[in-house]
Amino acid sequence: MAPTVGLPRALLYYKYHAAWDAFFNHLGVETVTSENTSKKVLNIGLKASDSEICLPVKVFYGHALDLGEKCDYVFIPRIVQVEKGSFTCPKFLGLPDMIRAVDNPPEIISPTIDVRNGRHAIRDAALEVGRMFTDDEAKIVKAYKLAMKALRKHEKDLVKENIEKTPIEKLKSLIGGNEGNKEPVLRIGIAGHAYNIEDPYISLNLIQRLKDRGIEVVTPENVPMKKIKKAAKDAPKDLFWNYERDILGASYHWVKNKVVDGIIYVVAFPCGPDSTIQVFVEGYAKKEGPVPLMSIVIDEHSAEAGLVTRLEAFVDLLTESKLSAQGV
Amino acid sequence: MDGYLGIDVGSVSTNLVVLDENEEVVAKIYRRTQGKPIEAVQAGLTELEDLLTEPVNVLGVGATGSARHLTGVVVGADAVRNEITAHAMAARHAQPDVRTVLEIGGQDSKVIVLQDGIPIDFAMNTVCAAGTGSFLDHQSSRLGIPIEEFGGIAMTAERGSQIAGRCGVFAESDMIHKQQVGHPTNEIVYGLCQALVRNYLNNLAKGKDILAPIVFQGGVAANEGMKRAFEEALEQEVTIPEHFNVMGAIGSALLAKRIMSRTDNTTHFKGFHSADFEYKTSSFGCAACANSCEIIQIAQEDGSEKGDVLARWGGRCDKWDLAPTSITQA
Repeated sequence: MAPTVGLPRALLYYKYHAAWDAFFNHLGVETVTSENTSKKVLNIGLKASDSEICLPVKVFYGHALDLGEKCDYVFIPRIVQVEKGSFTCPKFLGLPDMIRAVDNPPEIISPTIDVRNGRHAIRDAALEVGRMFTDDEAKIVKAYKLAMKALRKHEKDLVKENIEKTPIEKLKSLIGGNEGNKEPVLRIGIAGHAYNIEDPYISLNLIQRLKDRGIEVVTPENVPMKKIKKAAKDAPKDLFWNYERDILGASYHWVKNKVVDGIIYVVAFPCGPDSTIQVFVEGYAKKEGPVPLMSIVIDEHSAEAGLVTRLEAFVDLLTESKLSAQGV
Repeated sequence: MDGYLGIDVGSVSTNLVVLDENEEVVAKIYRRTQGKPIEAVQAGLTELEDLLTEPVNVLGVGATGSARHLTGVVVGADAVRNEITAHAMAARHAQPDVRTVLEIGGQDSKVIVLQDGIPIDFAMNTVCAAGTGSFLDHQSSRLGIPIEEFGGIAMTAERGSQIAGRCGVFAESDMIHKQQVGHPTNEIVYGLCQALVRNYLNNLAKGKDILAPIVFQGGVAANEGMKRAFEEALEQEVTIPEHFNVMGAIGSALLAKRIMSRTDNTTHFKGFHSADFEYKTSSFGCAACANSCEIIQIAQEDGSEKGDVLARWGGRCDKWDLAPTSITQA
């Protein structure tokens, strides 16, 4: 029977799952992705994790431990540095150790991903993992190449080039409510980590709620990396954390090039990097826009009512100001 | 007379207004919700009708506040909208050039920034209700002062005692300490107002541009001590509109009027005597997935065991959702 490797549907899974799936599958290893986050998964995580850690890590615990019972291994890479000169959040460095520290931990595969380990750092990490399942090095290298290719394709598929402002005529249909109007009239940028905003459970279904109201949603993943890096140069200094740099760069791009009508910044409690970047983005949106920005803090107690009220009010605000700006 | 009805059902108070065609308030009710929103709305409607000097032909009904969905079902509302939009509408109606709305209600507080009558920024308190009406209520009863006299007493103080306002729990222990060492009550009372204002401006309104004209509304605006503390902290005049404690209801009536004028719909209002219907709410846990959502159901009594189910909500997916057909979601 083929060995099974569990992929926790949390944290960097949202960025790299295409590569992980491709890599293991080429080696004849079956991957099992954990189910969507649910109350049950969150409760497992809350019970097992340290109370001081951030919400997405608590969720990660839930996924990893739930998988532990269903697979031979759980894949938790130690992702230290993916770009020269910047780091990931410290939680990613300690992730495999945190999971190992629970009672009856699952069998964990945790290669170190650190580009400071030379030009072939990631390939070497892939070889290390691959040797657990085969002696055929050529096959592992092929799996690695397929993985990188799958990742690049995945990233490219997410990018939406040349997004332009929504035309004015569509706005007029807003006056009589949004009925019968299928075209989005507002575009909102959701600034935040993919593992927060793409997880319908912990984000309280934020993206779908907006889409249900006929609003177009864009996320940092939709912005080409070139534009992210260019816009991030407007920050007072180079950012220490690369994933947060992406959020900041995407938000700056949205503001500077007037791509969105408003921004919702989703912060997971108590994320250190987010709380820093949020202030930069808020200031920039105000000074260079102004683009209306609303921050939403999510935690394990997040109440739906509060979110719905704020979302409604924010959409009202964007609609009113767009209508008035266009003289409708 | 033609008119519009606005209902704001919050955690602490339930407010109803009737506006005439010219958007003037012809009758208003401010009463306590006391944890029973349906009963509060039904009683409020009866009282409101008694206040009317001539019969009103209701052309549209708006509901807002934390019990807006429930209220919408009970009365047959045409517009069910959030309280932030409703308060902004009402403030603009009372003072067309308003730039900042400070609103403090029973359990929540908001700041809304407007430009040329359009809201451009807002904030609303999250989980913490420190510094809202409920907290003032609690402290006034602890000090043995009726809440209605709280503001007047604060006005007699020359200065306020230094009270920690960051957290309601700390504020309370700080107040007890000040009492124990002999601070005059009026200075403690005013000190508490200052602390709440400080907390409001430093947390909720942090980073917002508080520009004049400033309007202060919500139930807590009845407290002159709070107005004084805001004016001292902001070094600007703060205006309290005539109908400060029913602004949410006014805003929702205005929203109802706007929606009705933009569509050809006729109102779904069940009449002032929707009070005569019996409603029953119940909840159950959904077992369809690992989320175990709590589903709320509201039914109108019709002699059957379960009643006529009017609406259901509370799930993370739409499995159980049953929306009242009357409401225009615009």
